[in-house]
Amino acid sequence: MAYNIIVLIKVIPDLEQIKPDQQGNVSTKNLPLRIETLSENSIEASVQLREKHGGKVTGIIFGTQESVPIMKKAYAMGVDEGVVITGYQGNDPRYTAAVLSSKIKGIPHDIIVLGNQSADSYTGLLPGLLAGALGYPLIGNAISIVPADRKVKVKKFLENKNVDVEAPLPAVISVAQEINEPRLPPVMQIMAAGRKQILTEVASISNSSSIKVLSNTAPKSERKKMIFEKTEEGIPVIVKVLKEELR
Amino acid sequence: MKSFVFSDDLNLIPAIATFARGLGEVDIYAPGPVPPAIKKYGASKIYTVNDPNLTDSIADLLASRISKGEYQFGFIASTVNGRDMAGLLASKSDTNSVAEISSFELAGSSIRTKRFFFGGKSILEEESSSRIFTVSPGIAEPKEVEAESPVEQVSLSPSRITVLSSEEKKSGGVDIEKAQAIVSIGRGLGNKDKLSAIEPFASAINAVIAGSRPVCLDYHWLSEDRQVGLSGKKVRPKVYIALGISGQIQHIAGMRGSKIVIAVNKDKTAPIFEECDYGIVGDMFDVLPKLLDGIKK
Repeated sequence: MAYNIIVLIKVIPDLEQIKPDQQGNVSTKNLPLRIETLSENSIEASVQLREKHGGKVTGIIFGTQESVPIMKKAYAMGVDEGVVITGYQGNDPRYTAAVLSSKIKGIPHDIIVLGNQSADSYTGLLPGLLAGALGYPLIGNAISIVPADRKVKVKKFLENKNVDVEAPLPAVISVAQEINEPRLPPVMQIMAAGRKQILTEVASISNSSSIKVLSNTAPKSERKKMIFEKTEEGIPVIVKVLKEELR
Repeated sequence: MKSFVFSDDLNLIPAIATFARGLGEVDIYAPGPVPPAIKKYGASKIYTVNDPNLTDSIADLLASRISKGEYQFGFIASTVNGRDMAGLLASKSDTNSVAEISSFELAGSSIRTKRFFFGGKSILEEESSSRIFTVSPGIAEPKEVEAESPVEQVSLSPSRITVLSSEEKKSGGVDIEKAQAIVSIGRGLGNKDKLSAIEPFASAINAVIAGSRPVCLDYHWLSEDRQVGLSGKKVRPKVYIALGISGQIQHIAGMRGSKIVIAVNKDKTAPIFEECDYGIVGDMFDVLPKLLDGIKK
């Protein structure tokens, strides 16, 4: 049977390029944007499900106006239709869940796929908040997703074991990086993606977050950072440290 | 004031329970059976749940206990099941939640928390009325108490999740979370056979060998339970020695709690040198024998 799949795509700045200012404040303004790694895995998993079972993959980005061009990559990877919702705030996953669940309710769906924990904020709370808001079961950190009729079997990748579980559809499934190797789309598909329409809309719910940001500054590294370019100079220093710490 | 602690990883309970005890009474929720060591952290009660994968039913139980006023706060270990349960619980109990906190402070009627943000490039300090928190390791130094906590099994409402089977991961038989010294290897090792060049040094300093994500998950040079990083284990040894590890932020997130960090890497621009106490720019196969000689002297 064919499935309607919604994949939630997070757009993040290139974190490696963050440089704190003199006061230690960090900003991601003007940094290049990309699809978050686990969102790429989510897209790949969704497209593979459609290739196997048929159906449709709808991508949703909750981001900003700048995120719009990023949807083209999702199209090139095989997403059928995409919506970009603007008004993303960043630090409150409860608000994110409210906006996304209200959008999801208006789109036919059986399976909702998203990354388990994003590389920028890594709260890992969105899958649960979303499943709660939609009233669906949640299966976390999937490394395989096998739907059959109105049920889905999923292998969960936990810290010390892998667990096979089953749940009725619709369900929210978060994926682990280990689930797949996201495809590199061929040039023809990239060109075709550029011509495809991307719907944009403003978040339908205003942010009522009561979480106030007091500061966002670079962590003070208390590391000594004594770096030796000549091995001979470093050895005695490190030997002394090892002997003191581990005696 | 009473809080609850939930963790499906028993290793993470001592630190979180010790921290929560500082705020008042605390109950622990964990999968059974509970070993005696976990009963020594001052919980009024330890409730066991039969399967931590039934996140919806566990969230239902805790949401109903929160709504009855039993708990002011919930502190949940940041594991896969913990995070899933925390999100569901925050949604069901209609309360705010803050993730991966490394610091918690009561400020009048609100709470001030700190957590890493932008993949560890910054610390976000927030003020909120949140009641549900996931907690990063190292929130407190575990301290035992005299009294043993009583244990009671709780019954859960039916779950929509059916657990079919589970398979323990291949284990190297060590627990890197408990190690005092860790020798951690990265891609720079080259191949699995070269592990034998690392072992004499590791055993001389009583260190366990761990590794970065590619080493454990992509190349399988080490078992998966030895992976340090955001998607692996978070470790806090006295000494962490990173060999041929470039130091991507996902890796740093797993070893930031280490007391002393030593790095050896051929590339002097490797980010690991920004996160270490002592570093040598050089080839690990040249540096290690020399360190070993020095230790033996």
